[in-house]
Amino acid sequence: MAFYKDKYDVIVIGGALAGMSCAMRLAGEGKDVLVLERHNLPGGVATSFVRGGIEMEATLHEMMSLGLREDPLYIRQYLDEMKVAIDWLRVPEAYELYSPKDGIDIELHAGRRANGTWVCADEIEAKYPGTRKEVNRLLEICRKVYESVLFLNEHKLSKLEMLLGHEELVKTAGYSAKEVLDVAFDLPEDVKKILSAYWVYVGQPISTLPFTIYAFLMADYMIGGSFVARGFSHEMAMAMQNRCEELGVQFEYRQEVEKILVRDGRVYGVRTARGDEIHADYIASAPYPNEVYGRMIEPQSEVPPQARKYANAMPMSVTNFSVVLLLDEPPEKLNIHSYSVFSSEIPFDTDVFWAEGRKLGGWSCLSTICLNLANPECTPQGMTSLSITFLPLPEAFDGVSADDYYAVKRQVAKEMIDKVSSRLGVNLLDHVVEIEIESPMTMAHYTGMYKGGIYGYQHSMDNSVVGRLEDVEREQYIRGLVSCASHQLVGDGMACNINNGKIASTMILEEMKKEAHA
Amino acid sequence: MKVYGFLKDVTGASRVTNARRKLIESGSPENLYHDHIKEVARELHPQVTRVVVTKCEDVSPTARRFTFEAVDGDVLPPFQCGQYVSLDLEINGTVTTRPYSICSAPFEAREGEHPFFQITVRNGRPETGFAANWLYANVKEGDRFDAHLPFGQFYYEPLRDSRTIVALAGGSGITPFCSMAKEIAHGTLDADLTILYGSVSTKDIILEKELNAIDCERVRFVNVISGDEPYEGEKGFLTRDLIQKYSGEDTTYFVCGPLPMYHFVKGELEALNVPPRRIRMEVFGAPRNVAEAEGYPKDFEPKTFHLTVLRGRQEDVIEASSLEPLTVALERAGIRNGSRCRSGACGYCRAKLVSGDVFIPQDGDGRRRADRQYGYVHACSTWPLSDCIIRIPIM
Repeated sequence: MAFYKDKYDVIVIGGALAGMSCAMRLAGEGKDVLVLERHNLPGGVATSFVRGGIEMEATLHEMMSLGLREDPLYIRQYLDEMKVAIDWLRVPEAYELYSPKDGIDIELHAGRRANGTWVCADEIEAKYPGTRKEVNRLLEICRKVYESVLFLNEHKLSKLEMLLGHEELVKTAGYSAKEVLDVAFDLPEDVKKILSAYWVYVGQPISTLPFTIYAFLMADYMIGGSFVARGFSHEMAMAMQNRCEELGVQFEYRQEVEKILVRDGRVYGVRTARGDEIHADYIASAPYPNEVYGRMIEPQSEVPPQARKYANAMPMSVTNFSVVLLLDEPPEKLNIHSYSVFSSEIPFDTDVFWAEGRKLGGWSCLSTICLNLANPECTPQGMTSLSITFLPLPEAFDGVSADDYYAVKRQVAKEMIDKVSSRLGVNLLDHVVEIEIESPMTMAHYTGMYKGGIYGYQHSMDNSVVGRLEDVEREQYIRGLVSCASHQLVGDGMACNINNGKIASTMILEEMKKEAHA
Repeated sequence: MKVYGFLKDVTGASRVTNARRKLIESGSPENLYHDHIKEVARELHPQVTRVVVTKCEDVSPTARRFTFEAVDGDVLPPFQCGQYVSLDLEINGTVTTRPYSICSAPFEAREGEHPFFQITVRNGRPETGFAANWLYANVKEGDRFDAHLPFGQFYYEPLRDSRTIVALAGGSGITPFCSMAKEIAHGTLDADLTILYGSVSTKDIILEKELNAIDCERVRFVNVISGDEPYEGEKGFLTRDLIQKYSGEDTTYFVCGPLPMYHFVKGELEALNVPPRRIRMEVFGAPRNVAEAEGYPKDFEPKTFHLTVLRGRQEDVIEASSLEPLTVALERAGIRNGSRCRSGACGYCRAKLVSGDVFIPQDGDGRRRADRQYGYVHACSTWPLSDCIIRIPIM
């Protein structure tokens, strides 16, 4: 018997969250799906590793858009609908922002009260009196934008319907987060900084971050909080992978797709590194368009110039640099009291942090995650699992060669550890049991992603999600080929990628329907 | 209160859509695909490196060192002292893999006209693996292999380890320290290294000439002989007193050697109250006799089982001995599964156990928590206790 069928309804390239989400939904609709994953693990970056018998998260991970079981948000609803069972643990706080140069040190919690006010508005009020009303108003607008974006994921509306039903989205769509915060809200600068801290998770400064995305993220996070899987991100990946197989998806590890085969403007299959040619009329692709159009489409003459323009114009978003530490003392002995801390040693300014991300090292704003505070069983007792992260642009690594790689990454990691050590008043280097340093090269090695880019394309004002939604059909340059990863519509993040996969499956199902009628 | 004037603006959506269209229109229609980061990632972690044996030398009456250079346009990747190479070996028609610590220094793989790496294998002892014996007896200059490197976490990490290192070695466990010593002497590893090398007899010492030839005040090489022969240097085992004698204030201990030595040394280090983070242990292959491993079912009669192997839509039924890990059953049947560490640690041979009972030794269980939950195993460290069905990647 052959390893593969000659033809599948859909081939999904990449078994990360988007690919698995897409595959599982298509299989649920009765489609015959093949997933080809180049690694021998599912989940992409949503994974873990083991050192000396102790498991650690691969990088900073928080699952959003779940909400509580009794009040589920869209990702929990979707996973429930797909019958994916994961043992979630709620992260205790939203985040702590520590910016001594601004005199800011505050911890915020997610949650909205029955009367519609927000927990974090009270927390901010306690330190910045007189701001409660405006913070509540901002978060309410965010919440309405959030609901509109989710609604529009599934529905097409006329301009009038949009204006009537989704006023907050329509009226803020043309502005950056900074513009809206500055002009529409009467808030002290420090409070705006506090409410911008989460920029780290979109990797875009608020001056160019569309308010739409800002609002979506703030609402998502502040309504439902965030979660981690008890069995690390690998549990989430395995639950989805397992569900794919239960639904009849053929899921193959260690299969790198080298070529996407195109004839007369439409895909008809793939060729793997092993040399298997497998056919399908539809392909969902985790590889970036840059890679797909640049080297995977065969023959290259099938790549329309417009597709190349698209790939060349799309601005790459950030990648990841994380120092993952296992330490030999419990968190409280290391002065670690919050799960998620954003700390800045200069006055908090996302434009400055963004610019710093073009260079290697010298990064002023770091985020640290201490997993024990959300999942106390994640290490043996008396130890701490801590990661320190900055999100630089890929170009910061242009000058790094294989020969200086190890030295360079250690140098940058040391600088980051020293900064966090000085904030904590504890030299973390005296406590390291295990250390792994993850660079864009690590991301590229394990996920194969273009330039190690796990964040897709920038959410900038000239690449707004509103524009992406509007033009999604225009940008299907090759029939049957759909993007299915963080470079797609919704962008980066675990919840977003599950959504990206769902959207990809909808696009394929719709196209199938259309073609069946034709 | 400020004026919310611009929030009356309903043209924002079309404005950002147009801005985006303009951005895309500004893109070049040429193929500009280039990915420096991926190129570096590939150079650091090539899938496979084609290598040729350029030198075979005896480095003791029982050990031979092989030098490999890259061929076919391949380039040796950088590695860190203490890491290992996994070689694909075809022995009597069976394709298998073996991990060997690299005994040459990292700089030698990246500098000079003929960059190379070296491994050293011992021969003729009951505890020596059959692959090592085969390499010793058969490999000659000009032989070609597929090599996979670098792998392993047994390396000096300056952000974790003390700059004062005491290496505790036994048998062929000396090889990673040979790499470390050379790199220190070359000035590219900033550490002070004392190697305590335990052997039963002076005849068992390997790489002695090479280690003695290292002329660097930061490297000290001390043989420790436990047998009865007259010997002027250190005698006995790698005891706490001996270890203490050669230790500094804050020392990191690297341990690499046969299993009995490992257990002994671990106890001695614990007696010295060495904090766990100052002890680095190399993993060492699967147990030779699994029935002696802790937790193995009592009185289990050795047996040959049916192992059903699923790859894609293909199904093969092969034989699997309860005395050998699943990886070996696959290799004997000519089914590639790929394996690297062969100790259950690295997870390269991760496979889904669809059904069947198996034994996994506790110190060879490097699995993730969710993998245990979902029935995944590392085939190199999994022994069948019944007929089994496994799903493995197509290779």
